[in-house]
Amino acid sequence: MNIKKKSSVVLFILLAAFILESQERTIKDDLGFAFEIKSPPQRIISLAPNITETLFALGLGEKVVGVTRYCDFPEEAMKKEKIGGIVDPSLEKIIALKADLIIGFRGNPLPTIERLRNLNLPVFVLDAGTTIESTLSIVKKIGTVTHAEKRAELFIDSLRERYERIVAALRSVTEEPKVFLSLHGSGLWTCGKESFLDDLVKKARGVNIAGTIPRKWLNYNREHLIHEDPEVIIILAGSKQDFLKTKKWIKSEAHLEGTKAVDADRIYFMDENLATRQGPRLIEALEELARLLHPHCFEKE
Amino acid sequence: MKARSKRLTLLAVLLFLFISGFLLSLLGGPVETSPGDLFDFFFHNLNDPTLRKIFIDIRLSRALLAFLVGASLSLSGAILQGYFQNPMAGPFVVGVSSGASFGAVLCIYLGLNVRFFGFSLQSLFAFASGFAIVFLVYLLSQRKSVFKVETLLLTGIAAGALASALTSFLIFFKSENFEQAVFWLLGSFKLADWNQIIAVFPYFLLCFALAQWLAKDMNLLVQGDEIAQSLGCPVNRVRKTFLAVSTLLAASSVSVSGIIGFVGLVVPHWIRILIGPNHRHLFFFSALTGGVFLVYSDFLARTLLSPTELPIGIITAAVGAPFFIYLLNQSR
Repeated sequence: MNIKKKSSVVLFILLAAFILESQERTIKDDLGFAFEIKSPPQRIISLAPNITETLFALGLGEKVVGVTRYCDFPEEAMKKEKIGGIVDPSLEKIIALKADLIIGFRGNPLPTIERLRNLNLPVFVLDAGTTIESTLSIVKKIGTVTHAEKRAELFIDSLRERYERIVAALRSVTEEPKVFLSLHGSGLWTCGKESFLDDLVKKARGVNIAGTIPRKWLNYNREHLIHEDPEVIIILAGSKQDFLKTKKWIKSEAHLEGTKAVDADRIYFMDENLATRQGPRLIEALEELARLLHPHCFEKE
Repeated sequence: MKARSKRLTLLAVLLFLFISGFLLSLLGGPVETSPGDLFDFFFHNLNDPTLRKIFIDIRLSRALLAFLVGASLSLSGAILQGYFQNPMAGPFVVGVSSGASFGAVLCIYLGLNVRFFGFSLQSLFAFASGFAIVFLVYLLSQRKSVFKVETLLLTGIAAGALASALTSFLIFFKSENFEQAVFWLLGSFKLADWNQIIAVFPYFLLCFALAQWLAKDMNLLVQGDEIAQSLGCPVNRVRKTFLAVSTLLAASSVSVSGIIGFVGLVVPHWIRILIGPNHRHLFFFSALTGGVFLVYSDFLARTLLSPTELPIGIITAAVGAPFFIYLLNQSR
């Protein structure tokens, strides 16, 4: 057999293997259920905003037929049919949209997911870990299940590159400021060790003062807050207006006058939709937070 | 004769409401469907997978489960009001509901999410712990072999409060499962399916049959235990059976739908006001009315703010309470 023939045989085998593989593959979702990947999905329902954002980022926006009422990014997502909320999606709406792929996320109640599965609907659930890196695995898995692996890989590379640039910029940091993250407007709601926001603060080279508490979300104790004396307070709010309201509340009613953050007026705003969704924009949030905590590291640019 | 025609009228009204309630439930929902769609589905298009899922798996199963749970809770309430001779008694006073929801929330907390033959472990936990707490209360209130009904009632209330406290503690501790826990505390048929109907139906049937069979003994019991005894009613055995039956009804209801308040308290009252205290009719009409009442309540709960759903407990109390007060005033 000459080389030409040989190589064409090899090529043929590879091609056949590729076709076979691309037609019949099963992957496990994060709840451990096997999901059969057949042809590329044409009608996708997203059950969480971070999933919607990832789908659009991968150029699959046109295939999305249903989103939650919280899916507001990118703007085109708001034009899609609403299937309800994250914790209360409407089963009927989901059925009526005749999707060939329904992507759920950790925040969706398990009984609801189970009910969808019992109705023989193609559900694929993601439950990423609590680090920024795990966000990239969400992108990867969505890429696999939607037949957009190549695009996902390129996208992940660009995200990783951006991430490395932030890490490099922060290399000169010697002192990590104590940070208090305020969620949900008034009240001292914050995130503990088990939340990915804790990792976000860590990666931005700060110390989350509630990061020792083994919880995801918790209402922080006012005494502790005064005792820990944070140097920076980050308020995650839906709008500038909400931010100002919460800032006023923290300064006056939470009795935090005298803490370092209040005295130095290091109380900053971050868009809650940017930071609290475990999607591709989390890298953007990381950069924003890093710039707030260590502005000098980014001055040279 | 007058009482009989009253009952027949009530039966006719209830049957009409029953049928129209089911039709409403089949037609109403976040996905728009017309009567034409429904007609088309049943007579021409029974195999359309999407319509089948929406009409049969979602809406019909939901309405049926609401009916069964409403009937169970009302029957349970009717039995307990006779049992305690106390109009404040309802299916939840002996601690069964708090016990059951504690079991369910504990299961959520432990992260157990397994199914056995279609029953979720949560339901089994709810059922078992609801039953266990009543059994415990019964043993506790039976000291020195003297059994007092008041002691049972009070021990039940105390044990229920303890179970509620433990439930709140678990919810507080694991706030990310809050949403699931609320389901058990406020009640909902959001996730109704045929498995749940299959799970509840046998209990209801058995309990309903037992209650009808022992109804004449209940008529004697309400005249006082001594009189009942002297008239040949085996008081102890009957009491035990009634307690078991009402607990079984309430625990099986809570295990599929969470705690739905007010139905079991109010419906038996309505019926007593309307048709009098004979338990043979009281049991039957309470079950039927309770079922119909929950079918309508669930319909309102899921359509008022569609696609968002209200907890059904809000509806049962908001609709039931004013009507109840009106009836009380009328009967005076």
